[in-house]
Amino acid sequence: MSYARRALAVAWKDLAVERRSKETLNALVFFSLLLLFVFQFTLGADRERLAAVLPGVLWLGFVLSALLALGRTFLVEREHDCWEGLLLASGDKSAIYLGKLAGNLVLMFVVEALVLGLFVVFFDIDLGRALPGLVVVVALGTLGLAAVGTLFAAMTANIRAREVLFPVLLLPVQVPVLLATVKATEGLLLGEPLGAVAHWVKLLAAADVIYLVVSLLTFDVVLEG
Amino acid sequence: MPDNWSFVAAAYGLTAAVLLWYWLRLGKKEREIAVLTRLTAERSRGPSSSGHPRPEPGSRTPLQQNQRPGAP
Amino acid sequence: MVRVLGWLSAAALAVGLVMAFGVAPREVTQGNVQRIMYVHVPLIIASYVAFGVLAVASLVYLIRRDPRADRVAHASGEIGVMFVGLGIATGSIWGKPTWGTWWTWDARLTTVAILFVMYVGYLLLRAMIDDSERAARYAAVLGIVAALDIPLVHFSVYWWRTLHQPPSLMKPGGFTGSSSILWPLLVNLVAFMILYAYLAARRVRLLRAEAEATA
Repeated sequence: MSYARRALAVAWKDLAVERRSKETLNALVFFSLLLLFVFQFTLGADRERLAAVLPGVLWLGFVLSALLALGRTFLVEREHDCWEGLLLASGDKSAIYLGKLAGNLVLMFVVEALVLGLFVVFFDIDLGRALPGLVVVVALGTLGLAAVGTLFAAMTANIRAREVLFPVLLLPVQVPVLLATVKATEGLLLGEPLGAVAHWVKLLAAADVIYLVVSLLTFDVVLEG
Repeated sequence: MPDNWSFVAAAYGLTAAVLLWYWLRLGKKEREIAVLTRLTAERSRGPSSSGHPRPEPGSRTPLQQNQRPGAP
Repeated sequence: MVRVLGWLSAAALAVGLVMAFGVAPREVTQGNVQRIMYVHVPLIIASYVAFGVLAVASLVYLIRRDPRADRVAHASGEIGVMFVGLGIATGSIWGKPTWGTWWTWDARLTTVAILFVMYVGYLLLRAMIDDSERAARYAAVLGIVAALDIPLVHFSVYWWRTLHQPPSLMKPGGFTGSSSILWPLLVNLVAFMILYAYLAARRVRLLRAEAEATA
C-alpha cells in the first residue's frame, strides 16, 4: 500500500469510527456549550469586558477542546488491544501519524467552527471583515496544536497517568502557539487587517513547520515499542 | 534603600539547602546501590563457598564403612 | 575524576561566596540585596548549559542509541530543573524588595517559567515509564521537541512583553557595570558551571550503577 493510501486509510477509519459513535464529538460539543454558558454567566452583562477577553476566552475553548480530542487519539487502539498492531505495521510509521493528524484536524475544525458559531450567536459578535484572517489564524493554530498533540498522545498512550501527563507535556510546549493565536485574534477582532498581525502569523507558520517536521521524523521512534 | 539582609539570607540559604539536599541524596543512593551490588555478587557466587566440605559418596574405604560411628 | 570535580566546585563556590560578600561592593541603588545576583545569574546560566547538554545528548541518543547519552540527558535534566527552579526562586526573592513584587509577567521571567515547567514535564515523563529503554527513547524525543521550541517561546514571549533589564553581560557595548561587580559574578558563574559538571558526573555514575544492578 502506498504511503499516502496508508495515511488516508488511518484517517478514514478514525473518522468513520467517530461518525458512528460520535463519542468524542459529543463530549466536545457539550463541553463547548458549558464553556459558553459559564462565560455568559460571568461576563455576559459587561459588553466591554467581554470584548476585551473574548480572544482569550475563545482560544481557551479551542485549546481545552483540543486537549480532549487529542488526548483520545489512540484511545480506540488502546481500548481494543490494537496497540501492538500499530507497532507491527510495516513500512514508514509516519504514515500513521499523518492519518491520525488528519483525523484530529477534521474533528478539531468541526468543533472550532461550532464553537465560533455559538460565540457569534450568543455574544452577538460581528465577525465581518475579520473572518478570512480569522480562518487563517485558527487553521495555523490548530495545526500547531494537533501536530505536537498527536505525537505526545502516542507517547503518553500507555502511561498510567496519561490524562494528567498529556496536558502537562503539551501546554508549555504550545505556549508560542497560544500567544500568537490569541494576539492575532485580538488584533483581527479589533478590525485590524491580517497584515497588522503578520509577525504572529509568520511565527505560527514557522512553528507549524518545525512541529510537523520533528513529529514526522520522530514518530517512528515512538512507535518502536 | 534598606539593606534587606533577610532577603539575601533567604536566597543564599535556600540555594545552599537545596544543593545540599541533592548532594546528600546522591550519596545515600550511591550507598544503597553499593550494598545492592555487593549482595548480588555474593549471591551469584553460590552457597557452597561458605559451607564445610562434605565427603563424596562412595569415597569411604571398606575399613571406614565397617566402622560406622556409634556402633559398639 | 568525579572527586576532583567535587573538590574543585567546593573551592570555586567558596571563593565565589567570599567575593560576593567581600569583594563586591554595596550597590548604590539596590543596597545589599543586589548580592543575590551572584547566585541568581549563575544558576540561570548554568541551567541553560544543562538544558543545552540535554538537547545534544537527546539527539545523540536517538541517532546512536548509546545508553551513556541517555544518562547524561537524564542527569542534566535533573540538575537543570533544580538550578532553574532555584534561579526563579532567588530571582523572586530579589524582586520583592527591588521591584516591589514577587513575580511579574515580563518576557524573561515568563520564558524561564515556561522552561521550568517544560523540563519538569520531561522528568515526569521519565519517572512514569517503567521500561528503561522506552523511557530513554521518549525522553529523547521530548528533549528535542523542547529544545526546538525554545526559540519559538523566546520570540513569542518577547514580542508580547518587555520589562526586564536589558542583558548587561551580552550587550554589544560590553559590560557597563564596574569590575568589582563583574569579577564576583564571573567567578560564581564558573563555580556553578563546575558544580553542574560535578553533580552531573556523579549522577551519571549513579545511573550506570543503578542500570547494572537491575540488569
